[in-house]
Amino acid sequence: MAGYAIEMHGITKTFGSVVANKGVDLNVKSGEILALLGENGSGKTTLMNMLSGIYKPDSGSIYINGEAVSIDSPEDAKRLGIGMVHQHFKLVDVFSAADNIWMGKEKSGLVLKKKRYDEIKDITKRFGFDLDPTKKVYNMSVSEKQTLEIVKVLYYGAKIIILDEPTAVLTVQEIEKLFNVLRAMKAEGHAIIIITHKLNEVMEISDRVAIMRKGEYITTVNTSETSEQALTEWMVGHKVNLNIDRPVVEKTRPLLEVRNLTINNDEGATAIDNVSFYIRGGEILGVAGIAGCGQKELCEAIAGLRPIVSGQMIHKGDNIVGLPPKTILEKGISMSFIPEDRLGMGLAPSMSITDNMLLKNYRMGKSPLIDRKRGRKDALQVIEDLSVVTPSTETPVRRLSGGNVQKVLLGREIKAGPNVIITAYPVRGLDINSSYTIYNILNKQKLDGVGVLFVGEDLDVMMALCDKILVLCHGKVMGVVHAHKTTKEELGLMMTGSLDLSEKYADKPAGLAKDTFFEDENKKEG
Amino acid sequence: MDKLGVITAFIHSIVAINIPLLYGTVGEIVVEKSGSLNLGVEGTMAVGAIFGYICGCLANSLGVGILAAFLTGALCGLLFALLTVTLQANQNITGLTLTTFGLGIYFFVGNSLKGPDWPTLNNAVNVKNGFADLSIPLLSKIPVIGKGLFSHNILVYLGIIIAVALWWYLKHTTLGLKLRSVGENPAAADSVGINVKLMKYVHICLGSGIMGLGGYYMALLMSGSFNSACWINGYGWIAVALVIFANWNPSLAIAGTFVFGFFNTLRVSGSSLAKAFPALLGWLDKIPVQLYQALPFIITAIVLVVTSIRNKRGSSGLPAALGTNYYREDR
Amino acid sequence: MNGFFSKMPRLPFHIVKRENCPLWMKCCFYLAAIVIALLAGALVLWAIDVDPWDYYYQMFTMGAVGNKRAYKIYMNYIKEFLPLALTSVALSLAFKMKFWNIGGEGQFIMGAVSAAFVAFKLGPVAPAWVTLIVMCITAMVIAGIYGLIAGILKVRFGTNETLMTLMLNYIALYFLTFIGETKADWNFFLQEKSARPVFESFKDIVIFPSIPLGEKFELNVCFILTLMVGAIIFVYLKYTKQGYEISVVGDSPNTAHYAGMKVNRIVLRTVFLSASLVGLAAAFKVGSSGVLSTSITDDVGWTGIIVAWLAQLNTGMIFIVSALICVLQFGSVNAASEFARVDSSFANMLQGLILFLVLAADFFIRFRIARTKKGE
Repeated sequence: MAGYAIEMHGITKTFGSVVANKGVDLNVKSGEILALLGENGSGKTTLMNMLSGIYKPDSGSIYINGEAVSIDSPEDAKRLGIGMVHQHFKLVDVFSAADNIWMGKEKSGLVLKKKRYDEIKDITKRFGFDLDPTKKVYNMSVSEKQTLEIVKVLYYGAKIIILDEPTAVLTVQEIEKLFNVLRAMKAEGHAIIIITHKLNEVMEISDRVAIMRKGEYITTVNTSETSEQALTEWMVGHKVNLNIDRPVVEKTRPLLEVRNLTINNDEGATAIDNVSFYIRGGEILGVAGIAGCGQKELCEAIAGLRPIVSGQMIHKGDNIVGLPPKTILEKGISMSFIPEDRLGMGLAPSMSITDNMLLKNYRMGKSPLIDRKRGRKDALQVIEDLSVVTPSTETPVRRLSGGNVQKVLLGREIKAGPNVIITAYPVRGLDINSSYTIYNILNKQKLDGVGVLFVGEDLDVMMALCDKILVLCHGKVMGVVHAHKTTKEELGLMMTGSLDLSEKYADKPAGLAKDTFFEDENKKEG
Repeated sequence: MDKLGVITAFIHSIVAINIPLLYGTVGEIVVEKSGSLNLGVEGTMAVGAIFGYICGCLANSLGVGILAAFLTGALCGLLFALLTVTLQANQNITGLTLTTFGLGIYFFVGNSLKGPDWPTLNNAVNVKNGFADLSIPLLSKIPVIGKGLFSHNILVYLGIIIAVALWWYLKHTTLGLKLRSVGENPAAADSVGINVKLMKYVHICLGSGIMGLGGYYMALLMSGSFNSACWINGYGWIAVALVIFANWNPSLAIAGTFVFGFFNTLRVSGSSLAKAFPALLGWLDKIPVQLYQALPFIITAIVLVVTSIRNKRGSSGLPAALGTNYYREDR
Repeated sequence: MNGFFSKMPRLPFHIVKRENCPLWMKCCFYLAAIVIALLAGALVLWAIDVDPWDYYYQMFTMGAVGNKRAYKIYMNYIKEFLPLALTSVALSLAFKMKFWNIGGEGQFIMGAVSAAFVAFKLGPVAPAWVTLIVMCITAMVIAGIYGLIAGILKVRFGTNETLMTLMLNYIALYFLTFIGETKADWNFFLQEKSARPVFESFKDIVIFPSIPLGEKFELNVCFILTLMVGAIIFVYLKYTKQGYEISVVGDSPNTAHYAGMKVNRIVLRTVFLSASLVGLAAAFKVGSSGVLSTSITDDVGWTGIIVAWLAQLNTGMIFIVSALICVLQFGSVNAASEFARVDSSFANMLQGLILFLVLAADFFIRFRIARTKKGE
């Protein structure tokens, strides 16, 4: 079967008891862009890491240009002309751009010469990029770092280029630029694999699409002969029947109101820019936006984990700005954020489910001793209610599979009986059934008069589940729309910043409640 | 002794008795630049000292001594690398154990050989003569500082050369760049095809070998008289401190050695300075020696705090991955 | 040269993380490690013409079997064991939080000096039991504060605590030698009459009492106190809210912060507690020997780190491991007197060897070696 740059046959990889890839087949031709599509946790990155030599497959075979190869290390991959741009960049922060490339160069001579900067600059130009070779990585923006990674891969002479979710952190213009680069590389005869779960990008850039689901290879189709709907079906398994209930509940006065909130990210750049919104009891407010648009910072700020630059936040009329996380918790505001590694925030991975149940309420009671009996009871109940798969309540959370970890986290949050739930990506990587369990839980909370802030990725889900959707683009509010009135196209345009509805109604600015608790305005109006 | 002679002798001692620190520090810098925090410097130096000394004396050759010290030091490094790089053991614990183990070997071998059969420098003429001072022509003729700075034994020159060479190696060679990338971000180094494990192994062994040389120097400095106090006597720990003081830069380590060495020498020969210049330096006698001994650690502690307060990216030579083991399949 | 560094040895196997290692397997690995270490030690002994069997017998029985003065041996053994066990327990508190307090030596010294200070100053004017209690409290507070230095710097500026506590060890050590080697009017720590600087004993002023058990054997109260502290710390770590906080902070500081814990306060509190317990160990040591010495620590600050790590920070295991390490150290000193050819430093060598092999065994507990299947 000549003609393929890469063929993978029956690749299987397990991590302990977790099967990450099961008998996966994949092939790419030279001069073609293959999109590798799948939900989070479907094993795309693991599969690609086996091409780049990070992991070794348990079984299966790989052919490069028709020849069977064994890729034992990144060194092997490099020699075989495979280059991967990882989602988390593999760059040395304190090195200059040139040195990051130079350090992997073979036959680079004994002595480091100044000339290397010129050489790298020339190469960069030749590939059609603009990059200062002396700039240190820690001074670079995300897109500069990505450019550097691509230049690096090209410089090493890669013929097969893998990009792991390259667009997740880019602006619209940057994505367009990246796509032009990819097209140019394709024209030069490179084989390109791009990992993504964004359908519009798949349709725009790829020639063929390979779809994975839960670690298994589903199929490969020509992009021109398929549709987003068809791809989605393959990706999620069966026809997407987003028949999520949206019960109508009598809404209360705003529980949580946010006015003109501005927050910085860890690097000190503005993450959330002058954002206002409110959540009533009995409503689900969705927050849509491209990943990394300030969602994390927003959640952390409300939970009191991140200082704000300016703005106001009130809960039932009481200020919560500057309060410690503990006090905010006690007011009944629950925040659960599922980060990409699923364990980073909200759970102590090495500790048991029981101990994790106690995380937020372990202080209860006067006794200096911890009440594990209560923790165990809660654990048992959550395990039963959410059908968590676990050997026992004493199993460390780290050992559970992703979906079960999330159920434990969300189960604990709801158990605490909050009146405001902030939840970010609660269904990240979950299968459909588990996702529905989560939707039902949220709806139940809504019926009980809880206000829910749902930060999500999947627009279909948000349109079906939420009452209103707040759209963020680069930290700015693009508007708040009614979920049942809006369209996916409208949301997409807003997310990319091409449509700004925040000033749509001059008399009713987006994100400000009529019956606000902000007193001064009440007086003004009254 | 005339007054200028006292100054010359003082300068001479600053260099002569503190070069082991330079060896230890430079060796540890090489190890740490590969991302490994080896707290076994003291033990490694002790092993190098005892084997270097005994082999050198028995063969009656300074060269054999140097070789033996380097190799046994490197062997300690190999042990450390095997445990931390291949077997992923905690670096702090392994380093501390290496110190216990090294000192154990040192005393075991030393005490076993102690007695009439103990090899002495008097019987190993070549070693003794090899360790004698060599004057650099012209430079050593400069009044006062000439004899102090430019008339030393060959191991002093070797130490300085090693330090400068390693500075150049780290900063100006491709391999040095690769090494630094391993210490900063092993995953990045791995992804571009650098053999992280091999780099670590080689440099841990190289650095440990250099520490071994420092130990050998100590042995010769003590004229090989073996008693209950170890020849190394804490120099290994000062070296760990000096690495921070020198900001992981081997050429700064030379300066650091002499700054620390200055205080160390004051402890030893402060009283002769005080006697020669009673009016000016008489107060030297009043300062407790322990203050001099503690000063390297006090200064390093201050340096440590100051750098962590400044915490400016790119200004510190601290390898970002220092102390953490690298396992490729870790996500 | 570059080519040399880029060649990858191709191995027919690779390592994989182990999900779960059953207890029996762990025990086997550790046991194997110890046996191999002892065999290697036997090889050394055999090489210098000593019967390894005889030597090990002498060492592990500490010469107590068939000895009329065995009670004396046990008493001395306990004297070595107590400071090590308590120091290890103390250090394990900080380690559990992933705070690398390797400053046990320095904290021990500060505790010992302050306990001696109280003994000299308060001893002559107060009842013995008051003095002893004040000694313990002072030692704990001073050692705790000494430990807090690194803690505060870590919390405030992110200063590396491993290197910081290392420096503080030596600063404390030279402070102690300063006291021990400086003859001066103010220095009441030294003997007045002696021309050379020698530490004055306060044995006659105040000392921890011993309880006679049986005919000759006397059990120092420190033994009971240490066991009590050990039990308290076990409960503290396992069953109290503060212990729970330590676990969470150690596991994931972000999660702790998220759960509304005041992470910095917990870190400081735990570091203080850890250091002050090291101080308590020092007070016990000084209070039962009645005299300072420049080698008062017996390296427990170092050995304690290793013990705590080997015992995997499990309080009960710490007592067992430190008891074994003490047999090794104490027994070899004893055996050295029987076997002139074998230096007492053999213990350090053997101890190092055992530790290396146990660290290696740890690898096989955390990882397993899998054969690389050639995919066809």
